Amino acid sequence: MNAVLSKPWLRLAIGLVAPALLLIWWQWQASSGDVRSIAFAPLGSIGGAFLELVENGSLVSDMVSTLSRSLTGLVIGGALGIAVGVAMAIWRPLDRLLGPLLHAIRQVPLIGWLPLLGLWFGTGQGSELIVVSLSAFFPTMLNSYEGVAGVEQRYLDVGRIYGFGAFQRFRLILLPAAMPLILTGLTQALAFAWIASIATEILLGIGSGLGVTMQLAQTQQRIDIILVTVIATAILGFAVNYLFRQLRISLLRWQPASL
Amino acid sequence: MIVESRSKPAPEARAAARGALSINDLHKSFVIGGTLRPVLEGINLDVKPGEFVSIVGASGCGKSTLLRLIVGLDDQYGGEIRLDGERVATTSLDRGIVFQDHRLFPWMTLEQNIDLALLNTDTPKARRAQIVADHIALVNLVGFEKAYPHQLSGGMAQRAAIARALVTEPKLLLLDEPLGALDALTRVHVQNELQRIWMTQRSTMVMVTHDVEEALYLGDRVIVMAPSPGRIRRIVEVDLPHPRDRGAPLLHRLKDEILSELMAGPGETDNLVRLPEREKR
Repeated sequence: MNAVLSKPWLRLAIGLVAPALLLIWWQWQASSGDVRSIAFAPLGSIGGAFLELVENGSLVSDMVSTLSRSLTGLVIGGALGIAVGVAMAIWRPLDRLLGPLLHAIRQVPLIGWLPLLGLWFGTGQGSELIVVSLSAFFPTMLNSYEGVAGVEQRYLDVGRIYGFGAFQRFRLILLPAAMPLILTGLTQALAFAWIASIATEILLGIGSGLGVTMQLAQTQQRIDIILVTVIATAILGFAVNYLFRQLRISLLRWQPASL
Repeated sequence: MIVESRSKPAPEARAAARGALSINDLHKSFVIGGTLRPVLEGINLDVKPGEFVSIVGASGCGKSTLLRLIVGLDDQYGGEIRLDGERVATTSLDRGIVFQDHRLFPWMTLEQNIDLALLNTDTPKARRAQIVADHIALVNLVGFEKAYPHQLSGGMAQRAAIARALVTEPKLLLLDEPLGALDALTRVHVQNELQRIWMTQRSTMVMVTHDVEEALYLGDRVIVMAPSPGRIRRIVEVDLPHPRDRGAPLLHRLKDEILSELMAGPGETDNLVRLPEREKR
């Protein structure tokens, strides 16, 4: 069995079995003539909608805006998350000061902030970006905190023996030792930012983006367009996640049997 | 090999200034479960420059605590620890240590791990690479410069840790059960290397071990400690030149004596067999 999985093309083929079965089942549902079949646009019309969206350029521009919104949010939220998480772990008074507040805020689902943010900043791109950044902030902050707080004393002892100053201790011990968890946080943050982008686009429906088009297509009862955007969301999210995993593996090549 | 690049005082002067450890009436206690428990009591020990001293004792006799105090990771103690007359209060590049676990940073290559010891010395960057390469050669790890610790075997990682401790040329090198985690064959091999390194560098070394044979094979003196609270029970001179033959009858006789001493309960010290060397004096 493992010998079969060692061939790359076979691995790929096996991964495609389930999607192919899903498509067959889908087409069967769409052509069954059942009342519900209206919810299952036939594959042909989905293909048509796909070509339509590609030709008028809206699919590409939607993908670009959703992707750039997610990544911008990831950069802002991730950078702040690392900074705050690391600072709280290194300097415990800051943990005492900010910890309770941040842990309370974290309990509110991100979509729950939308009405309030809408009142403060309007229902524009700014509010969207804040929600996306916030959703990237928390997983990064929590994991960075755990990563730095969990650095083993035996490594810090080595730093003391060789006379490390505060900056050397940070750069040569704390940061690299925490890196696996920081990257775990960023991977989660990426998924959260992606979800938050689509969700806020659907809820606010402004500008362009996959969520905006989904929402618009729903009001126009264009099942085919909804499906094209859903599939685009899935494939794009999958691709970004894959790239991120490769990045993680190359950054953590010092680990035995990298994940 | 590396010493030559620095200023060269007369050999006798250097020996006098390098690595004389003196411990006077050392006390150390820990608070365990609300009560103060002494772990070390009345330790008195003088180690001559260039001497190799082994410390053996049952677990819990405070051997590792003693090394932590000497290296300066813990400054809460009573009494005095002095290296070349200077009181030990914190860590210093004059005092190196090798732990039982190699403690190489897993995120750095072997080369980077050794180089980090030189970061806070005044060695010029260009010389650092040469010194690191020399020490990698000293512990027979040429070819593994770019390897990460998880790619090294236990014995190799431990040799790398010894190289890291040696690059700063500490006046005093402390070894905290450095070979405890190695299998028997690797252990003998690294013991031989350790002896060879010590004979070339002649810095003062203090090694904690619970392998009596190892203590006798390497040590000029073996300190036998008794537990709870940790104190020195006896000091055994091993009057044999280095490099030593493992099969030397003296080593075997001393081993039997130390072992029976360690097995005997506290307070029975008076009934022990006298060492022949002692009786001569």
